[in-house]
Amino acid sequence: MRLKTCLAVLALTVGLASSPVAAQERPSSLGLGIFTFTSGPAAAYGMPGKNAADLIIDDINAKGGIGGVPVTPIYVDEAQGAQGVIAEYRRLAGDAKNQIMVAALSSANCLALAPLAEQLQVPTVGWNCDTHQLLIDGKSKYMFRPNGNTIPEFIAYAIYLLDRKPDIKTVAIIDPDYAFGHDAANIFTAALKAMKPDIQIVAELFPKLGSPNFQTEISRLTAARPDVVFSNLWGADLENFVRQASPRGLFTSSQVILALGETVLQRVPLPEGVIVGVLGDGWWMSPDAKANSETVKFVQTYKARFGEYPVFPSIKMANALIYVKAAYKTAMQKNGGKWPTRDELAEAMKGSTVATLTGTTQTRADNDGLVDQIVGVTVKSPDQVFPVIGDMVRYKGDSLMPQTGQDPIAWISTLKPEFVKTLPKPGSYK
Amino acid sequence: MSNTVIPLLLDSLASAALIFFAAVGLTLVFSVLRVLNVAHGSLYSIGAYVAASIGLFIASRQLSPYLSFAALLCSAVFVAALFGPLIERTLIRWTYGKSEAVQILITFGLFLILEDLQRMIFGVQSLYEDAPVRLLGTSQIGGVVYLNYQLLLIGLAVIVVIGLRMLVRHTRLGRLITAVVADREMAQSIGIDTNRIFILAFSLGVFLAALGGALAMPTSGVAPGLGADTMVLAFAVAAIGGLGQIEGAAVASLIVGLARVLAIYYVPSLDAVAPYAAMLIVLLIRPYGLFGSVSARKI
Amino acid sequence: MRAAYAIAAVLVIATLPRLAPWLQFVLTLAIAKGFAALGVAVLLRAGLISIGHAMFFAVSAYGVAFLARAGVGDLATLLVLSVLTAALTGAVVGAFLIRYRAIFFAMLNLAVSMVFYALFAKLYGVTGGSDGLVVPIPSVFGAALDEPAFMRILFYLSLTLMVLVGLAVHRYLDSPLGHALSAVHTNEIRLEYLGIPVWAVLLIAYTLSAALAGLGGAIAGFAIGRVVPEFAFWTASGHLVLIAVLGGIGGVPGAFIGALFLEMVHTAAVTVTDAWNLIVGAALIAVIMFMPKGLYGLVAREEGTKR
Repeated sequence: MRLKTCLAVLALTVGLASSPVAAQERPSSLGLGIFTFTSGPAAAYGMPGKNAADLIIDDINAKGGIGGVPVTPIYVDEAQGAQGVIAEYRRLAGDAKNQIMVAALSSANCLALAPLAEQLQVPTVGWNCDTHQLLIDGKSKYMFRPNGNTIPEFIAYAIYLLDRKPDIKTVAIIDPDYAFGHDAANIFTAALKAMKPDIQIVAELFPKLGSPNFQTEISRLTAARPDVVFSNLWGADLENFVRQASPRGLFTSSQVILALGETVLQRVPLPEGVIVGVLGDGWWMSPDAKANSETVKFVQTYKARFGEYPVFPSIKMANALIYVKAAYKTAMQKNGGKWPTRDELAEAMKGSTVATLTGTTQTRADNDGLVDQIVGVTVKSPDQVFPVIGDMVRYKGDSLMPQTGQDPIAWISTLKPEFVKTLPKPGSYK
Repeated sequence: MSNTVIPLLLDSLASAALIFFAAVGLTLVFSVLRVLNVAHGSLYSIGAYVAASIGLFIASRQLSPYLSFAALLCSAVFVAALFGPLIERTLIRWTYGKSEAVQILITFGLFLILEDLQRMIFGVQSLYEDAPVRLLGTSQIGGVVYLNYQLLLIGLAVIVVIGLRMLVRHTRLGRLITAVVADREMAQSIGIDTNRIFILAFSLGVFLAALGGALAMPTSGVAPGLGADTMVLAFAVAAIGGLGQIEGAAVASLIVGLARVLAIYYVPSLDAVAPYAAMLIVLLIRPYGLFGSVSARKI
Repeated sequence: MRAAYAIAAVLVIATLPRLAPWLQFVLTLAIAKGFAALGVAVLLRAGLISIGHAMFFAVSAYGVAFLARAGVGDLATLLVLSVLTAALTGAVVGAFLIRYRAIFFAMLNLAVSMVFYALFAKLYGVTGGSDGLVVPIPSVFGAALDEPAFMRILFYLSLTLMVLVGLAVHRYLDSPLGHALSAVHTNEIRLEYLGIPVWAVLLIAYTLSAALAGLGGAIAGFAIGRVVPEFAFWTASGHLVLIAVLGGIGGVPGAFIGALFLEMVHTAAVTVTDAWNLIVGAALIAVIMFMPKGLYGLVAREEGTKR
């Protein structure tokens, strides 16, 4: 009886074991672990990412796959929490068929997975990992971040604001309570204070990520009457915030900056004059995007399949997958057409420059990516039922980044008011 | 400073109203059935989901938006009618006479089941339908614009407190409930159908929970995880007020609402800690809650 | 005979990772949760149900993270210190909580655990907020290891601890102190009249249960490599109680059987279905209603027999 149980357990576990694949022969399929939010409040941001992944991968497979090998995505829902995400990462990394991870959406998970990527030696493309804390030690070999970094993302807002409204005095901030929210608050505040030292921060609120109700926070913000309200809330949090704040006059009493506002343009009624951006250059209606036939096709296919236009998380995911495809091409060129190993892929990503759907991404020596930043304001459009971005500016990727190895916040405090004048003006990107 | 006093008070009342609706059902069920229903939060979120679904349906068919108000009430009635008697007869009744540990575990199992049921039926995205909020407009008080809907909820909370008190003291049903709470066996021996009372009381608790979720939905939406978050808040309020005390729950809601709002206004980094810190402080001074006692036999 | 089954089970667990390497992580985590569930089970013996023991799990894990940040790098030191931290927290919190019984005990444990959760989640500057803190790979007796080697050592260490600590707890439950626990459950007043201080019996049990939960938390922290506030959330405590009940309370193996069973089934089921909570919830109800063995002590107690 005991022996039988032992044998049964043995058989079960042998069945679960996976067979390793020799690195050089072409595998039957290429596994990509793709980490995003597919449930909960964050899914409003995460599902556009998954949709774009489906679209791009279907497109790749229709054209024969990568190097003739079909791509199989394995989606991991980040909503299960850090513990589950880490367990899934380990499980996927244990199978040699999965060569690259595209992870993650939440900066918390990015920070949790980065050390794991180094330990398990799995090339990981942080499709949405813009927290500047991620690659700060400069020693990463396997963690890459082609879609840009919170430093230029949020300095861009400070510069655009000062260009548009040079006389503001008081600022209030409402960001989600985790690394991304605190980073943005620090960067935005530091940049503003460096370039206009008499600015006062009158309120800093950090509601918990996933909070459904912001009524008290909105009362606090409107009572303080700031000139500017800055927020990098996102997902359902942002939708709730806009729905709750709009009737209560927040958008009329203050200049509001919604750093991730483009994601909700099609979903909630945003008034005109709100400063929004795409944390990078992934705006599907930008002049560069409209001029790129591949991008136009992507947008049309996305709209037809999913019923709405791709928001910037979709573009980020699409660009990340293009980056992965480019890595395979480079790696196979370098090793004479053989199927690349994980290490060869990491090598290929280092220092690469890849043309994306909306611009170019350049990977620096510390694996950080340089992308341009697009910022604008909401304007009504005759062609769409929802507001679009107008009065745009496009800042070059390297103009807002500190040098490799420099402490970002220290660099920001060295900026001077004249810095604003060296950059393009709002409305210059047409 | 003075220009923040009125907003502070109003925000506290608005917060307290939402919190009260979340907690009153839990404490009511405990007072009559002596059962701490860990699945209470799930019934709250089911109420919110049903209200959102009906609201979205009304919007998609372009029916009169005023129907959405009726939708809120109907959701609560529907959830209570569906789940109240069902849960009471199958699970809760089995736990009478057994230790509290068993009750807690059974209702925790129910909580797990309901959480997954919600995901399966309503999906994993967040839902939001704010027609009632938009219809009622806004008012400016103390320099801050408030939603009239928030003020309505404050009024409704007061009505519920008074209504429950009147139910218990001035109706026949109320007296029956008081008798059953005071001495179950005695009530049975004089011919009161205690089974019926239990079903009614539990269903009333479910109704209040679902109503809370439905009323909160136009201002807060509903997303997975709402049940678990609400449960612990309801717990805190019931504990502060004294388990089983309706007026206690009202006072406790005011305390928790005020604590949260004070935190957001003055010490934003502690806004999530405030309810639990308040609970800990109250329980250190009065271990069984403000209005509670060891026997906790009064309703 | 029972010992033979136990040895066989331990051997099977020890060899499983050879066949499926990724199982090692799952099993390590299961053993960690088993320790915490054992802590809950110890208190259940006294009829006290704690829906807050995840707080000790979390305190210990955060302790490891803080100590590592402060420069403590040795595995043994980290384990001992973090377990002591959890035990100390347990003693302090327990001194207040053991005055209560039944529902109030359960609720207050939950209350205190949520205070911890809220503090962990909100004090961004100290605890990393909802992002949590990293738990770096410690050195083992001076040797710096790479990740795969450390995880293997952690697994076998957890297994060894499971056996050793399990035996120790079994001895404790069989000792006069352990029997006094059951006596508290049956009739507390009689125990007082016999001259045994109930508060001391309970405080020792509570501290021990906190230490056990802390041991689990430290192992989990090392295995996952990160500690987040969710470690202390009330549903985590609920799951610990669930494990203790599913496994069959009263015995040491119960907690570990429950934990291992749950983790294995979870890993298998999660690839097939999303309705994991539903299955677990239904299983819990089924076990309580139809398999009261182990719950016998709780179920048999009728209202009114104890005044």
